[in-house]
Amino acid sequence: MRERLTGLLLALPAIATIALLYLMPLIASMTGAFETEAGFGLGNFVKSTELYTTDILYTLMIVSLSTLIIAGLSIAIAGYLTLGENPKAVAILRWLYRWPLFIPFIVVGQVLRTFLAKNGLMNNLLVAGGILTPLQTVSFLDWRGIVIAFVWKQTPFVTLLVAGAMASIDRGTIEAARNLGASRLRILIEIVVPQVRTTLLVGMVLSFVTMMSVLSVPLMISAQSPTMITADIAFRINAYGDYGVANALGMISLAMTMAVAIVYLRLNLKEKAK
Amino acid sequence: MKTFLSAAVLLATVVPPAAAAELTVITAGDQNMVDYVNEYLAPIFEKENPGDTVRAVGTGPGDAGSQKILERFEAQAGAEESDTDVAVVHEKFVGPMVEKGFLKKYRGDISTGKLVTSDKARMALGTDVDGYVMPMFASQTAIAYNPALVENPPRSYAEIADWAKAHPKQFGYNGIKGGASGVSFVMGWIYAFGDGDAKTLMNGPFEESQTKNWGPALEKLKDFNTTATLTPGNAGTLDMLGRGEIAMGPVWVDMFYSWQADGKLPPEMKLLLPAPGMPGQPMHYVIPAKAPHPKLAEKFVELATSPKVQAEGIVKRFNWYPGIDAKYVKAELDQASWDKLFKDVTPEDLAQYAKPFPIAPYNNAILEAYERQVAN
Repeated sequence: MRERLTGLLLALPAIATIALLYLMPLIASMTGAFETEAGFGLGNFVKSTELYTTDILYTLMIVSLSTLIIAGLSIAIAGYLTLGENPKAVAILRWLYRWPLFIPFIVVGQVLRTFLAKNGLMNNLLVAGGILTPLQTVSFLDWRGIVIAFVWKQTPFVTLLVAGAMASIDRGTIEAARNLGASRLRILIEIVVPQVRTTLLVGMVLSFVTMMSVLSVPLMISAQSPTMITADIAFRINAYGDYGVANALGMISLAMTMAVAIVYLRLNLKEKAK
Repeated sequence: MKTFLSAAVLLATVVPPAAAAELTVITAGDQNMVDYVNEYLAPIFEKENPGDTVRAVGTGPGDAGSQKILERFEAQAGAEESDTDVAVVHEKFVGPMVEKGFLKKYRGDISTGKLVTSDKARMALGTDVDGYVMPMFASQTAIAYNPALVENPPRSYAEIADWAKAHPKQFGYNGIKGGASGVSFVMGWIYAFGDGDAKTLMNGPFEESQTKNWGPALEKLKDFNTTATLTPGNAGTLDMLGRGEIAMGPVWVDMFYSWQADGKLPPEMKLLLPAPGMPGQPMHYVIPAKAPHPKLAEKFVELATSPKVQAEGIVKRFNWYPGIDAKYVKAELDQASWDKLFKDVTPEDLAQYAKPFPIAPYNNAILEAYERQVAN
């Protein structure tokens, strides 16, 4: 009994911190979402869906698409790190792929804003290389720019997790497949990826949640209509001082990340059960 | 005796006069506003008033910065003395400050007070603020264009709409979520094409029924957006203009000239102010009713709004339009600087087409109507 009490006392500061700094603001923002001028009601949500349904779907589309591309790329990179046969190429790739991890989202947005513009660096290079004519160039500063920014920034993170998991699987399974004549691609898809599936999914879930909360990238690349929910939340507060609808929009994006978080928790439980 | 004398002389020079005081100036806006006070105004003021010092505090960019100043005054309403001598705030916040009695009516007390005759020193978005404010500078939006791509620049909103239709994707603006130059373009659009009276939007009073008058104008704007390019922000429009991706777009005049001066924008680019006008806004010097050093504060504002400082600091350094009447500033300015600021947009254009923003409730209603009808 006594030990229990001490344990509880020891945990108390941590619990209090979470309650004060995390739960309280969350609850305040949740109740704020239902506060309208006419008292409690769903007015803010009605307005959110009236004005921002396109943006909500647009956000979901961008973030889901980015997550899928990130998964594909991280499997490819981690797969080459695990199965690659040219030690120099593997070493270079290992050194290179982590760079974006250390670059903040706002910097990514700023760099891509000039890189992807119609007459930006990318198109200028393509034109100089004779691949495009100046009239054929298009600006990528729309949903594509946001997806590129997200993929560029988040792929190393997922790759890091996946490559770690791949390094720790039993090499015997790979060697056996190779002895039987399987190609490296087949080994990757049929032997390696299934064994790191859980880690991959966890990485995807964490990336999804991170991308949902990024404001700087949509602001820097494309804050027009349609835009991402985060830009709308910022606009509601900065232009109108309207915290009600901003909170409602926050709740909606929370619902989206919750759905994904449930997947994450389930996976976690499964892992623990093992 | 000699030592005593020299010591006395030394003391007299070191010990400041009895009235030595620290003047606190708080200012909304970007860092350049704080720098302007600290690096330009303060040294001149301290030289003219030996012993007194100036301390500048920034409260942050945009409306949020002025909002903080308003909240500070509210919090100090019960106190005996404010901690602020002079504040620099956006037009939108002067009205509430005057209505709540936070400010001192001082314009009549200073010699530069009569150098301002424009409406902007009397009314602030529908509120009578006559006597309580001195404009620090006026910033204005206008349409920037690339003369190489636009031979006969459009002179009105109607002509801009036609031009944009004939030249798809060549007109660029930043919508309403990427900065105030886009917002200003939209407000001007409503002034031009809205069914109601634009004067009511600028001066009030607010009537719900007015908000029904914008349907056709916004429908037209939605159509316009399909042929326009949407840019990422105030700077985004200038960026795209500089790279030749668009030929025309709304910009802040001071930003435009600063970018040109820094070589970020080709010198050939030009400005025009279309009929029936685009909004701009002044920033005002105000003195709190309970300022700790009211006399010194008045002296400071007097210096800051003197023709010499307005010419050197406001026009030459920052490319802002002067707060006091331009004719008084002209005498203090070399011809080249004057020509630069008024070359494309003449003082007559400004008198005719420089409009205020709509009063706050209309402003918000137009933005939300845009979100509902144009962006959705």
